[in-house]
Amino acid sequence: MDKKTSDETDWEAWQTSFINETFTNLQRFASIPFLPEKLERVRKGVTPREVVYEEDRLKVYHYIGVGEPRFKTPLCLVFALVNRPYIMDLKEGRSILAHYVNAGFDTYLIDWGTPTRAERFLTTDDYVNGYMLNVIKYLRERTGSDKVNLLGYCMGGTLSTMFTALHQDLVKNLVLLASGIDYSTREALLNLWTDPRYFDVDKFVDTMGNVPAEFLQAAFLLLKPIANLVEKPINLMENIHRDEFVDDYLHMETWLNDNIPVPGEVYREFAKYLFQQNLLVKNRMPLGRHIVDLRKITCPLLNLMARNDHLVPCSQSEPLNDLVSSTDKEKIIWPAGHIGLAVSARAQKELWPRAVDWLVQRTD
Amino acid sequence: MSDNMNKYFDQVAAFQKLWMDSFANMAGVWSQFSPGSPPSDEMRKMRGGMLQVLAETWDQYMRTPQFMEMMKASLNGALDLKRLARDGMNRVHEQFENPAKQDIDDVLLAIRHVERRLLDRLEGLDDRVANLNEKIDKVDERLVKQENAIVRQRETSNAGAQKARATPRRRTGAEHGPGN
Repeated sequence: MDKKTSDETDWEAWQTSFINETFTNLQRFASIPFLPEKLERVRKGVTPREVVYEEDRLKVYHYIGVGEPRFKTPLCLVFALVNRPYIMDLKEGRSILAHYVNAGFDTYLIDWGTPTRAERFLTTDDYVNGYMLNVIKYLRERTGSDKVNLLGYCMGGTLSTMFTALHQDLVKNLVLLASGIDYSTREALLNLWTDPRYFDVDKFVDTMGNVPAEFLQAAFLLLKPIANLVEKPINLMENIHRDEFVDDYLHMETWLNDNIPVPGEVYREFAKYLFQQNLLVKNRMPLGRHIVDLRKITCPLLNLMARNDHLVPCSQSEPLNDLVSSTDKEKIIWPAGHIGLAVSARAQKELWPRAVDWLVQRTD
Repeated sequence: MSDNMNKYFDQVAAFQKLWMDSFANMAGVWSQFSPGSPPSDEMRKMRGGMLQVLAETWDQYMRTPQFMEMMKASLNGALDLKRLARDGMNRVHEQFENPAKQDIDDVLLAIRHVERRLLDRLEGLDDRVANLNEKIDKVDERLVKQENAIVRQRETSNAGAQKARATPRRRTGAEHGPGN
């Protein structure tokens, strides 16, 4: 009797499942023609902004909040050189910038622009002691504040760390997101692939000049080939009838495929001095005439890391807290990936209010 | 020659192992199939499991020296080809007396060197001006201190003089002389 019942249950379950999937598949196929229209609705940044400073390809955006800013000390966001910075303001409900603007911070973002052949010989020193220094000096004049708050994401965090070490008198608080500091770890594939036995960076840069966006794009795809080339399209097809999923997906894919070239000399320095020789943690990183000494960082530090980050694992960011001289320092390891740390729903709801609060308590 | 052949065979063997491991691991996940729960959910779980083991297998493979040697060889090959093509085009441009990309790069490099020299000089001047400002500030401070000391001294001596005028003088014998 039981066996017969169990057989009938299995048959019913199969039948129900088949019918449900059939109807859902019909919904999925019906949604496909609307994809181009949804793609057109993707915007690159949502918070109102104005350009307040330009230098060569660089632009600084000022984000306009409701009413006057509550805090005099401005906040300057610094992103990486390999992607466009609008990931920090991806869409409604997925914007780090909006959190700070709504909290009353006078918020600015550095957009490095798209380098051309003319920028081929720019070095890390040009970015840190040239562009960043000029921007910070401008913000000081504009706001009347002696210092600025810095928030750096990924490579932008590494640049912000170097800047703070060299110009601590200009930085009030430092917030870092998934920023690479200690490259001795072999957890991340990129650290393995840039090993000098397998990657001749001099030959690469001397031949290519600027590192092409396509090369960077291919390298990032190859870090997780199954997830990027198999799982992602399957997930899209499975959820193509869900508007919110498709909107998130299109926004994210637009940004992920919006790589920009990296100036050759910056790439050479990062590959050699950081990935291969790990000079930053040894306090021997050369930047023009200067040597970066992390012990000179004394300002409050908030170090945010992603537990499942395959690009910048925690072991690459965590050591910074022990290398600086700051007494007020905190680290948060969040269960997310490299991008999820910034834009996932849970991070937006739980992590970013906490990060904003941290800065509110330390800013006048 | 035999070293290269050995390296090549190592790479092929590693690549073969990757595919065998991938299918074996996926089959392992498939064998855990239990038809108790709704079929579509079960299929999704299995698919997720298979893709996860596939991802882990490929991740392990991409960490092997054989894979990295293969990447190195392929990248170097591509760079050599690009260099050959570029050198060829440079020669063609040279023959036609046209500017080539190399010439443009050389000009950019020259501008960069000039820029670098100027910026270094400016930084040096900046440092010197900062030093001079410091010295001037110190001199200013010293001057202010000295001025204050002079003013205090004057005030002290004025006060002393006023006090002396206010206090009546006791006449001495000399003052009480015949003409006084």
